[in-house]
Amino acid sequence: MPVQQNSPTPTRRRVLGGAAALAASTATGLALDVGTAAPAAAAGTVRSAADLVSADPRAHLLRRATFGPTPAALAEVATLGVAGWLDRQLAPATIADGTCDALLARLPLASLDITGTRATLAKQSYDAFGQLGRATLARAAWSNRQLFETAVGFWANHLHISAPSSGVWDSRADYDRTVTRTHALGRFADMLKASARHPAMLTYLDNRSSSKAHPNENYARELMELHTVGMIYSEADVQAAARLLTGLTVNSAGRYVYDVAKHATEAVDILGFSHPNATAAGGEAAALAFLDHLATHPATAERIATKLCLRYVADEAPASLIATLAQVYLDNGTAIAPVLRALFTSAEFAASVGAKVRTPFEDLIATIRTLGLGPEASGTKALDALYNMLVSAGNAPMRWSPPNGFPDVAAAWASPSAFLMRCNSHLNLAAGWYPAQLTRPANMLTALVPVRPATYGALVDALARRLLGTAMRPEHIAAVTAVAGKTPTSTLTATDTAVNGSLPYLIALVLDSPYFQIR
Amino acid sequence: MPVTTQTCGCDENERLTLSRRGVLGRALGAGAAGALAGLVGEGLSTQLAFAAPAYAGDTLVVLSLRGGFDGLSAIAPIGDPDYYRARPTIALPKSQVIGGDAMFGLHPALAPLLPMWQGGNLAAVHAVGQPNPTRSHFAAMEELERAATGTSVRTGWLDRMLGVAGASGPLSGVALGNAMPARLLAGPAPDVSMASIDGFALAGESDKRPMAAALRTLYADVPPLMSGPAKAADAALSATATLRASGAYVPANGAVYPATELGKALRDVARLIKGKVGLMAAAVDSGDWDMHEGLGTAVKGQRMFDNLTATATALAAFAADLGPSGMAGVTVVTVSEFGRRVQENGSRGVDHGHGNAMLLMGGGLRGGKVYGSWPGLSTADLVAGDLAAVTDYRSVIGEILQQRCGLGDLAEVFPGVAPTSFGLATARS
Repeated sequence: MPVQQNSPTPTRRRVLGGAAALAASTATGLALDVGTAAPAAAAGTVRSAADLVSADPRAHLLRRATFGPTPAALAEVATLGVAGWLDRQLAPATIADGTCDALLARLPLASLDITGTRATLAKQSYDAFGQLGRATLARAAWSNRQLFETAVGFWANHLHISAPSSGVWDSRADYDRTVTRTHALGRFADMLKASARHPAMLTYLDNRSSSKAHPNENYARELMELHTVGMIYSEADVQAAARLLTGLTVNSAGRYVYDVAKHATEAVDILGFSHPNATAAGGEAAALAFLDHLATHPATAERIATKLCLRYVADEAPASLIATLAQVYLDNGTAIAPVLRALFTSAEFAASVGAKVRTPFEDLIATIRTLGLGPEASGTKALDALYNMLVSAGNAPMRWSPPNGFPDVAAAWASPSAFLMRCNSHLNLAAGWYPAQLTRPANMLTALVPVRPATYGALVDALARRLLGTAMRPEHIAAVTAVAGKTPTSTLTATDTAVNGSLPYLIALVLDSPYFQIR
Repeated sequence: MPVTTQTCGCDENERLTLSRRGVLGRALGAGAAGALAGLVGEGLSTQLAFAAPAYAGDTLVVLSLRGGFDGLSAIAPIGDPDYYRARPTIALPKSQVIGGDAMFGLHPALAPLLPMWQGGNLAAVHAVGQPNPTRSHFAAMEELERAATGTSVRTGWLDRMLGVAGASGPLSGVALGNAMPARLLAGPAPDVSMASIDGFALAGESDKRPMAAALRTLYADVPPLMSGPAKAADAALSATATLRASGAYVPANGAVYPATELGKALRDVARLIKGKVGLMAAAVDSGDWDMHEGLGTAVKGQRMFDNLTATATALAAFAADLGPSGMAGVTVVTVSEFGRRVQENGSRGVDHGHGNAMLLMGGGLRGGKVYGSWPGLSTADLVAGDLAAVTDYRSVIGEILQQRCGLGDLAEVFPGVAPTSFGLATARS
């Protein structure tokens, strides 16, 4: 059971027990809510992370099920209610997405199929990778289908194929469109089989060159370890699976093909899957039956439930919710939407306020969304800049090099460098310095705070409520106002123009604060 | 007033070289990242809490070769006929070897380091590995960096080394080249991850706009997961201010670092060493060693050749930049989560294996030779098709820690592990 529920306050040498630690570490994520038990706390009380954000269930839902609350999204969920909002978001095709679609039209390579990519680009071109990464970023920031886009991100990370990676120059975007985006709210078994037969996966994990004479174990191992059951396999399982999967390969046109000549026939018995695998002609069907077996394996159900909890609920995945979601997954034939609905309406989800921290990607996108920044009027210079900011932070879409996907717990991202990068992007975006091309409110101050408050303290308070959805504590308001050379009681007159020069710094500090790190 | 220190900065195309399908950056995925949990930030609140005696050991540079380095190519067992039987197309021919002895040959892509080898400043140890022969990248890397098999210890071994050595400054332990925290350094000793020294800055900070002071208040009383990085950033910003203020870094002795991730990271390590900021240990990564396919022959354009060349070039630049006097106080060790299968596969590559070779570089080494005992590559000698790991990698590092880093008892760093007594390093005086 890779879960420690209600684990105690993390301690330096908490027992995980030898090899068991490897499996058990899945969910020993850091409780944010360590409160008073924080080690070596100096003077003063360490506040709970839950106190840093609004406990309103609608705000909580939007922090998790979107890439960041906006006034419009808050209004929408207020109108529809949580259940109605989930219903709508789980049917993304019914949601108009004109702004995002118009932007994506500038990134045509992101939606080309393999044949089209080959006809358009020079061999080994990285252009499609670049547009795919920017399209992912654009959708996160501006698509109205927010829950769908978070799910796409989750599955892209689960069945990860690094981009850029040279062998998949022609197929990575097609994989995104036909595997991840097609099945993100469908059935996992279908997604897994689509992935297994996609040239991008066959190339990335080398199954294309595996043959009965010389099986290549790379895909077989990661299929079990990363994509499905986790580390319950044996080396014999890897070798048997590698042989069973021989024949799934790629032809000279870059398309998937099953090559009977490469397939190794022999009976297999892998993790409860027994098959005679007697004929080469039947090898593909046997491989697909194995994939179905893996997709519906209880260990896969538990693993996916755990990862969904890490994504949407808490770094310490609640064991009770894992069990519930795994059962929903199996009861619904690996269908994903019922699992998400169960997750977002669970008591464990409701109780998880404050238990997730934004990754660098989420921080940047949430900044764009809360500031009301829109796509640039033409071209992609701003998208280029945003993408490159994420490259520096190590969190550009799909740009994680190993096949396990980006880590999804706060501890993996909590570094001094990452902290400074967050702060720096907040100031750049608040000021409009970089990227400079994004569409901005004509007057940022009145867009965020329509009625000018009487004091600087009241101004920062209003900025915090608008940008964070919660009130900052008085000492924090005082710390922020100091960057304007003011105190909270300093008068803000109708004719004060210096406030415009200070505004980017005030906004940046509000976004730099720990309140904004919580999602 | 555009802010330039942190914006873009990266040439996207430059960074594409990092990996093809390679493996592992640093923090692990859902499987193991949790092991870091609880470690982040804990030490940060206690750092600077006491003044330890000045560290008088080598700066230890740990170069992690991610993905499973093929030591059988780099330090090829050319005297073992089973090597050639197992690798009919990708074995290193004796004729291409550039150094070594009758038993082990240096891969020609290590040519930039040949002077170091000949000068006794580069050594290798063969048939090293971990006690647990997992072939999972992720499990193997987790154990490699925890380095405390069979115990409940959760910290990274380099963090424990820093603790034992009395690290107290904000730049005692630094991971260079990546903004993410390093598993090796997870734990209570002070450390910092930096994508780069020049990029490590707080935008907008000035006397008129005291951003850093405001951040100190904002992070004064939040959980350590958030306050730790903020406080460490604050301390490290102060400690690196002088370095950044002294202008563009110019390597010494005409050293030219390659424009690769590793080249840039090692350049920053050299800069910290020469800046005398108190650097005791540094962690850097080199990826793309997971050569299931196309490891290839020892010629330019083949994956192993090119990757080894890039690594050797960066290390040679580092050594040149520091010069003999600088290298007298530096030891570099390479580690990798596992070696690769002895038998080549059908893709001119090799699958995951076990036993491996380590490289060590430094002024205090007795280099120019391959240490360790050789278990052989006959079928009977192999462990599930893999080179046996007859020497624990921790024992080798242990010898370095005692001889070069001034550590005595190793129980804290590598519980239950005895150091080797190869004599591969001279005792630091």
